Amino acid sequence: MATPDGTDTDRFTTDRRQFLLASSASVAGVVGLAGCTSGGDDDDHGGDDHSHDDDHSHDDDDGSSSVTAVADAQPMASPVGSTAVNWDDLGDLEGEITIYSGRTRDQIDPVFEALEDHYDGLTLNVFYDDNDVYVNQLIQEGDATPADLMYSQDPGALNELNNNGILQPLPEDVIDAVPSSYRHPDGDWTGVTGRVRSIQYNSERWDGDADDLPTDIMEFATDERFQGIISTRPNSGTFRGFIQAMVELEGEEATREWVRAMVEDQDAQLFSGGTSQAVAVNQGGDDDPIVGLGNSYYAARILNEDPDAPIRTAYTVNDAGCLFSVAGVGVMNEVDDPELVAEFIRHLIAEEGQEFMMDANGEYPVVEGIDYVGPLPDLEDIQPPEFDLSNFDMDLQDAQNLLNEEGMTV
Amino acid sequence: MKSNSPLSTSSGRFETVRDRLETVDRPMAVLGVLSTIVALLVVSPMAWLLWQATLIEDPAHAYGLLFSSQTLQVTLNSLTLMVLVTLFSIVLGVPLAVLTVRTDLPYPRFWTVVAALPLVIPSYIGAITFVGMFGSGGEIDSVLGATIPRIDGLSGAIFIITLYTYPYVFLTARAALLSMDSSLVDAARTLNAGPLEAFRRVTFPQIRPGIAAGALLAALYAVSDFGTPAFMGARVFTSTIYWEFRGFAVEYAALLALQLVALVAVVLVIEAGIGRDEDARTTAGSGTTIRLGAWKWPAMGFVSLLGVLTLVVPVAVFTNWLVRSQGEPIPSLEFQWEFALNSVYLALLAALVASLFALPVAYYAARRNTFFSRLLERATYVGFAVPGIVIALALVFLGTRTLPSLYRQGVWLLVFAYVVRFLPQAVGSVRSSVLQLDEKTIEAARTLNAGPLETFRRVTLPLIAPGVVVGAILVFLTTMKELPVTLMLQPVGTETLVIIVWEAQRTLAYRYAAVPALLLIFISGLSMLILLRQEGRGID
Repeated sequence: MATPDGTDTDRFTTDRRQFLLASSASVAGVVGLAGCTSGGDDDDHGGDDHSHDDDHSHDDDDGSSSVTAVADAQPMASPVGSTAVNWDDLGDLEGEITIYSGRTRDQIDPVFEALEDHYDGLTLNVFYDDNDVYVNQLIQEGDATPADLMYSQDPGALNELNNNGILQPLPEDVIDAVPSSYRHPDGDWTGVTGRVRSIQYNSERWDGDADDLPTDIMEFATDERFQGIISTRPNSGTFRGFIQAMVELEGEEATREWVRAMVEDQDAQLFSGGTSQAVAVNQGGDDDPIVGLGNSYYAARILNEDPDAPIRTAYTVNDAGCLFSVAGVGVMNEVDDPELVAEFIRHLIAEEGQEFMMDANGEYPVVEGIDYVGPLPDLEDIQPPEFDLSNFDMDLQDAQNLLNEEGMTV
Repeated sequence: MKSNSPLSTSSGRFETVRDRLETVDRPMAVLGVLSTIVALLVVSPMAWLLWQATLIEDPAHAYGLLFSSQTLQVTLNSLTLMVLVTLFSIVLGVPLAVLTVRTDLPYPRFWTVVAALPLVIPSYIGAITFVGMFGSGGEIDSVLGATIPRIDGLSGAIFIITLYTYPYVFLTARAALLSMDSSLVDAARTLNAGPLEAFRRVTFPQIRPGIAAGALLAALYAVSDFGTPAFMGARVFTSTIYWEFRGFAVEYAALLALQLVALVAVVLVIEAGIGRDEDARTTAGSGTTIRLGAWKWPAMGFVSLLGVLTLVVPVAVFTNWLVRSQGEPIPSLEFQWEFALNSVYLALLAALVASLFALPVAYYAARRNTFFSRLLERATYVGFAVPGIVIALALVFLGTRTLPSLYRQGVWLLVFAYVVRFLPQAVGSVRSSVLQLDEKTIEAARTLNAGPLETFRRVTLPLIAPGVVVGAILVFLTTMKELPVTLMLQPVGTETLVIIVWEAQRTLAYRYAAVPALLLIFISGLSMLILLRQEGRGID
């Protein structure tokens, strides 16, 4: 892809900077390694943080932008707020942004495409890979990452990045526009759109209709009707979030009991991919599951390709089974143009950004003042419980280990 | 070194002469240094694994991971998968090699390409489409109401991985057959040996290093594959690595990867015993071909069937959606010729660099049969046994810490990653062809005053060309299908055919996978034909 000359120069200076920074970080790494029997990890991060501070003072003579931190990037035009703003109310996007996307192209292409069409001077370099892979990759890259921001599928991933000290806070108007249960409380990352977990089922094979499915997630582990025909995918970010939510609502013991019953009593089929699970539920072979716990967009994709497909979704009410989770963005410590990145995020949570993803993905908006219009159930009916998505009682690692200990692994 | 085979007496006499030659052989010393550099380069990512493993904060968890009964079970599953895939690959690959090299099968090059091409299809794509076609509720089921027995679990994984892995054995056995003096077989036959006995006593010992080289690759591929066992619901060693990786516990994933490396080291030592063979030295010569007669029809039918199962089924499943789909368009999956160009460019670069890296290591290991030379050669295999995401993560770290300004700018790191992963494919086949080389030929050239480089270029290289070409083909084909490393290290805008196939598959927009999948097979086949033409004539 051709880059304008000006940007190349910018990138060169940045890279010089990153080189110096990274060499100091790697020295810290080696020191950490040499003196390390325990806590080497901490040493290393300490080193990173230091060089990060140093770097900011150098940033001042960069010249390309007066602002060094995204949090300090004042709105170029209107701020975003709890009343929706249009893209035309916002500042123009001009320059290059590099994005690591854990979301898939079908979910995110439409809005990126629309933004690039809207602004001639905007180039979005988007890399797509698995959400979890990107978390590990960004942590290893540290501040040498080419990414300006990570567009993640779930909050657990963004928290993990933040815990590793590689995210910087967002501007105040962005933080204020998104309710605190949909973002990091201090604004280190924010959700952009939301979804609730669902029950997928094959409407041709399930005896009865949606109303015959329990509205309490706990019953799926005990109701004998689901024996041998239920499935789930335990290795996803949202499933871990679901387990964390269940621990918070029902307690650890009840959660363990639920997992154990799913594995041992219900003989739940365990899938390693959300797509393959939905395909199996839809396919309806003799050995395929009839009911699957998972995100609704997998079913939506199948119906998008083939409107006659038998897969449908149902929802539980006010429990972990209908956990409201977000896809969102976090900004890396080192960005080329903080004002551009800040303004880009404003575009995502502005009215058009929210509407694009409502239409293309069947997702809920996260900004107050923008109402959901579409085929998904009303949130009033489902009443998903509210959580601090950045701080569950049980941390992600322990949720992962709980699943492992109770035999729900793939 | 001593062997009872009739062929070794003559080479035994030359042992002392050769030893004397080699003590003053400066080129060998240079080769030793080059091999050491290559080996150190490709094992460098292992240093990151070791370092990560020292960052572990919860020794009890680590202990549990390494020694729980669950670990024992997945290790057993992995071993079963590895052993059976290897065995079945030999059973499929060796007869196919004999068929395309030794018989009068019509259009041998075409059938060679068909039998080798399954290597360009990622096995999990094969698995998904195979089940979608033949499984309960699949395409055949919904049209005819007929299904085959459920393909899943460990047996399903063994079945599918074999279908996409046997070409390793096929291609290396084929190169070995091409390099051996097949007039020996005629000699055996005139001495009243039946065809099977002639194969067992003459051909097999000659091509054994070749088969062993391919079998080792099949074994390592099987043990390091994640996608297919995951789709089939078989829990193997890589499952536990991915589980920790997905839980962002990279240090534990690294520890498990090291355990996998230890397991593989045992396999490498065992194989070193089988693949080592001093009997294999002959010069290429042609013998009589086996006449198939009416058997050529079932023979062609069998290769066609393999081609249909492994190549036609995936394309057919995707193409079906091209017609049927009513989905919303996804602009960035729209086909561009650039995808194909990128794929071929990267695969060619990887094949070239891997061949260059492989020559010194393989040659040194084959000619200097010392512990050290064998250690260097075995070391190049380690990267192939570790799952791609782990290698890529190590290179992400090393790349950002050594040349951050070039990180994800240009393809250097990506190509290096391919070489780390796939170098053994080139090393193995080059080495087995060097083993088949009769040193008398080389010594003759040296006594005629040819310098070491000239001898290499005019005598050695043409003789080992089949092995070098096959090594390059193996690297080329596996790079064409490589996904995890490509995704993590590609420079911006370097989409490849397989990336698009994967994206289309995971978002269920199958229709976008049809053209790239078809092109993947077509372009790979074409490139292979070109590479195969080099095989006979050497590089001179």
